[in-house]
Amino acid sequence: MDEEKKSGKMKAPGTLVLVFIFLAWFAALYFLNWSVLSRLWSIG
Amino acid sequence: MAAEAKLRTCSVTGLQVHLPAQKLIMTNAVTAVVFLLIGTVMAILIALTRWPAVHLLNQEFFYRFVTAHGLNMLIFWIIFFEIAGLYFGATILLNARLAKPRVAWACFVLMLLGAALADIMVFTGNADVMFTSYPPLQAHPLYYLGILIFAVGALLACLLFFATLVLAKQEGKYDGALPLVTFGLACAAIIAVWSLAHGALTYVPALLWSVGLMKNIDPAMYRLTYWGIGHGAQQINLVAMIAIWYLLGTLTVGSKVPSQKLSRIAFFLYLPFINLGAIHHLLVDPGLHSPFRIFNTSYAMYLAVVGSMIHAFSIPAGVEIAQRAKGFTTGLFQWLRKAPWGTPGFSSLALSFVIFGFIGGTTGVIQGSEQLNMLAHNTLRIPGHFHTTVVAGTTLAFMGIAYYIIQLVGQRKLIWEKLAKFQPYIFSIGVVIMAVGMLSAGSMGVPRRHWDVTFADANLPVSLGERIYGALGMVGIGGIIAFVGALIFILLAVGSLLKGEKIA
Repeated sequence: MDEEKKSGKMKAPGTLVLVFIFLAWFAALYFLNWSVLSRLWSIG
Repeated sequence: MAAEAKLRTCSVTGLQVHLPAQKLIMTNAVTAVVFLLIGTVMAILIALTRWPAVHLLNQEFFYRFVTAHGLNMLIFWIIFFEIAGLYFGATILLNARLAKPRVAWACFVLMLLGAALADIMVFTGNADVMFTSYPPLQAHPLYYLGILIFAVGALLACLLFFATLVLAKQEGKYDGALPLVTFGLACAAIIAVWSLAHGALTYVPALLWSVGLMKNIDPAMYRLTYWGIGHGAQQINLVAMIAIWYLLGTLTVGSKVPSQKLSRIAFFLYLPFINLGAIHHLLVDPGLHSPFRIFNTSYAMYLAVVGSMIHAFSIPAGVEIAQRAKGFTTGLFQWLRKAPWGTPGFSSLALSFVIFGFIGGTTGVIQGSEQLNMLAHNTLRIPGHFHTTVVAGTTLAFMGIAYYIIQLVGQRKLIWEKLAKFQPYIFSIGVVIMAVGMLSAGSMGVPRRHWDVTFADANLPVSLGERIYGALGMVGIGGIIAFVGALIFILLAVGSLLKGEKIA
């Protein structure tokens, strides 16, 4: 395992893609909720 | 008998198993499953009541069973199983012996006695106070006493876990840091001590109040300390679940965690920060000022979220690295396609991880923000969130590890292995349909813990709109599917222990 770490072989490109899909989903939900809140409690 | 004589070597893993610990692990785990069964029966009755087309229970039984459901699922099922997990992590994973088995049996008796007492009070109608038991709702004194007895047993079991770690260190069972899974379980146990201390701060005054020794109880103070145990207990679940995820990754595909140090830091971040997030239950509480609420539910809580983000990368990355080492290197996702999806341990890990992250985690952070909480507070969105964390997340992960405990600790082969392959999928599909129904209905304003949102008997007509019926129908249908999935698990677990082929 240490040799793999040193040689940089411990790569997980698929997981990196999955993590970004998750972050995009999270961001979309987050802004959707703020959008709903702003419409329910509009200012002005 | 010498300590060495009480050990056996597992024929599958080669690990040393301390026989008194083995008995305690199995007893706690089986007891947990009994409480899971009680909570599951309550769950289906509640789901079929919240489905307006069925509306099964009358209001008295609805609120009684909601109380029983919360207590049996969130506390008794999960904590009994976590105690089994602590003994497993401190003994089998370290090749060590349990410090004081007799004390562990005393803990078990206390927990069982307390749980039985609280349940009897609930089912006899002496504690229709919901899971939160907010004053001025008052239960029979034996209800509070039952929970306190249970909490004392659980607290002593956590202390015994720490004592076992010290003993293992003294006997040279591990050098340096604890193995990652045991380290995670130790973090869960520290949070448990913190939470159980809040339980004492909450339930001791409530007990004194219920017997008349205290004239008044401050509801605001009660709520503050209550959520130290109420949500703290869920943080124990979270941390224990993540430790189990790491363990399932290792057991199913030989997962290789990219950085043990980083994963340990992620666990450590939970200790000072995650329980502060419990204040999100009090975001509409007039007794707390805004800076306190904002600090606890944003800046502090986000540091715990950083820990979760690290785990969200490390766990699948560990699986990917192990799979790629086996030669599944084509493209970005061959390692995932070739994963052992027919192994219930792996499918439980994958499904609980995805559902927890994509639905439970995201809704939790969103609903825990002060302003966004106004959209969700006390609506069915809240149970929609925590059914994807505690049920699809923690419970499914515990089901996944239970399949291994039955074989490695219980020394029995699974009966109906084909059915076991499908069980995590059936359960997950049901919980997701149910939770999405809850989240949708809650978004349309349907309140949580409410017997009849159609307000059929109200003097003035109240309508939440036609669309809620579709969402509440999803709650009922999803509830039925999840109920079937849970029953299959209980059948497999109990059936395997009673009728499964013995493993030498």
